[in-house]
Amino acid sequence: MSALAGIAESTVRLATPLLLAAMGEIIAERSGVLNLGVEGMMLAGALAGFIGTVVTGSAWAGFAIGILAGGLLALLHAVLSISLKVDQVVSGIMLTLLGVGLTTYFGRGWVGENISGFARIEIPILSEIPIIGYALFDITALDYLTLLLVPVIWFFLFRTNVGAEITAVGEDPETADTAGIPVFKIQYACVLLGGLLAGAAGAQLSLAFTNFWATEMVAGRGWIAVALVIFAQWRIWRVLAGAYFFALIDALSFRTGGSVGEELLGQELLATVANFVINPQVMQTYPYIMTIVVLWYIMRQGNLNELGAPRSLLKSYSREQD
Amino acid sequence: MIPTVAFKNRETVPTWFAYGAPLLTVIAALLVSAIPLAWLGVNPINIYYEMFISNPTGIRGVSYILVTAVPLFLAGLAVYIPLKAGLWNIGAEGQLFVGAIIGSYLALTFEWPIYVLLPAMIVSGGIVGALYGAIPGYLRAEHNVNEIISSLMLTFTATTFTGYLLRGPMQGGGGQSATERLPDFARLPTVIHPRLHIGVGLIAVVAVLVYLLINRTRLGYEITLIGSNPSAAAQAGISEYRTYITVFVLGGFLAGMAGIIEIAGVHGRLFEGFSPDYGFTAIAVALLGRNGVFRVLLAALFFAVITTGGTTIAVTQNVPTAIINVIVALTILFLLTAEFIKEHRIVINPDRESDPETPSGLEGAS
Repeated sequence: MSALAGIAESTVRLATPLLLAAMGEIIAERSGVLNLGVEGMMLAGALAGFIGTVVTGSAWAGFAIGILAGGLLALLHAVLSISLKVDQVVSGIMLTLLGVGLTTYFGRGWVGENISGFARIEIPILSEIPIIGYALFDITALDYLTLLLVPVIWFFLFRTNVGAEITAVGEDPETADTAGIPVFKIQYACVLLGGLLAGAAGAQLSLAFTNFWATEMVAGRGWIAVALVIFAQWRIWRVLAGAYFFALIDALSFRTGGSVGEELLGQELLATVANFVINPQVMQTYPYIMTIVVLWYIMRQGNLNELGAPRSLLKSYSREQD
Repeated sequence: MIPTVAFKNRETVPTWFAYGAPLLTVIAALLVSAIPLAWLGVNPINIYYEMFISNPTGIRGVSYILVTAVPLFLAGLAVYIPLKAGLWNIGAEGQLFVGAIIGSYLALTFEWPIYVLLPAMIVSGGIVGALYGAIPGYLRAEHNVNEIISSLMLTFTATTFTGYLLRGPMQGGGGQSATERLPDFARLPTVIHPRLHIGVGLIAVVAVLVYLLINRTRLGYEITLIGSNPSAAAQAGISEYRTYITVFVLGGFLAGMAGIIEIAGVHGRLFEGFSPDYGFTAIAVALLGRNGVFRVLLAALFFAVITTGGTTIAVTQNVPTAIINVIVALTILFLLTAEFIKEHRIVINPDRESDPETPSGLEGAS
């Protein structure tokens, strides 16, 4: 296998959890609820999925349990931020703190165990295509499913009545309410769906990527998913592109190791700069920096709402006049 | 005939609830946290006894608590001050990290006398923290970029970049991702107990200064007015632009100082895990104490008791320190729930058909 094919394969598999979590976050945010608990929900999904797999002996059953664990934390976020009108930022961050705490606490006994997890499924002939064949047609069932889910969620959000209702709620809950759209039900459903997808993203990590549980193994991918939604300006296809872009950075940072020879560039200063830029740890900061730059750039152009941010994001809707 | 639950705004808050809510919140959080404790087969009563009774009494326990309260209080204020102006600084953790980096760099580079080096470390830690904090403040003031997202992203940029420094330019010997040990003349002196560094004195100084700033100066008045009544502030000609940047600079300064004090006072070297999410617990500190600077201090002390207690029981009872995060998060979640109950009456209508809206004229009479 060539190095290029290896990078392509890592990129595709590293993109899966980002895609799942970011698509979930888009759904929640389009209904007007920011979920900063993604990191915690992914951790819950990763640990619950792992334990579920060990206990039941089935990776699929474990995966389902992982999804539910993410959903359970999301339910808390929904109750707090939708019903109790708690600040979405605070609720989300506290849920991440809770998720980190609980999984570290209960996960201690599971560190060091291994499972076989999801096996690769090779599609004959197609997997023989140079470079991308190995990356796209020799991956696990979860990777395939996630790729299939992208058009499904796009269709759901942008081509169905429910999708239109979600948009209406996220843009202007009061008008939506007047029009008879069940605002609270839709927000609950969207936050829950977001949490289930975050749980799935976490479970994918422990069941189809590492095949073990490690403390805080999500390692910031939940935050990257939050960043990705902004980076992609709340659009599904851009999330797909953005997930591959961020995953590529991740995949490259595993491999470069930061070593461009001086003789290659002929100049010491240039080599130093180049080595800095491709240093694995430095590369890990790029998604965060790029998200700020994108946000700064679009805000300079005008306003967020024109560029896809739901208008009522961060505002909790209350029927009472107060 | 499905009963519906409706929430009505309260006119008056029962006195017992107004004062009892924080206490009830903490008790509720501890009750729920007893479940994971019991799960591991330890007796929660023993754990809580050690955390809240035996640990905080005695020189050693008090020293640890005070020392832990320093970063929690300073970072708590880094969230509290912008919150006064209606902004969220979610990036205290990142500001803490950059302060720790620059301070450690000075300590490992210059062989200055201790009375020059230590102030230089702390002040430069504060300045770099302030500059780092100024980024989300400026972006919000100038381009209306959401400060929650930008400060959050800058936090992960800083923590990740620290990883680079500690495996690269700042790495010490021994192959660990940590710096060399700071020389003795770059360490904060201790008093009474070998862990009680003099940085603790800063708590009192900063508490009084920030109290005076918020409550007795024009700037403090402007900050509070912008946070509580932006339109009135605009009419009064108060510059939102200047205030937004100022609160983030002030917050960043305090968090940056907290970072280097933690290194020079407690750990003696910079390593990736030097902050057990102080910058995020700071959000909890600021929320629990959001009605005043001295309440922020109380909140910081409270979470310091939990943090040091959690670290102690990790050693004596073999309970993972992660229980600290669980208790902190639960405390805040219950606090927010209690605040909702404080502001709303819960009305249960047995009949779905009956109109949940009471005519507004009757509300006051009831």
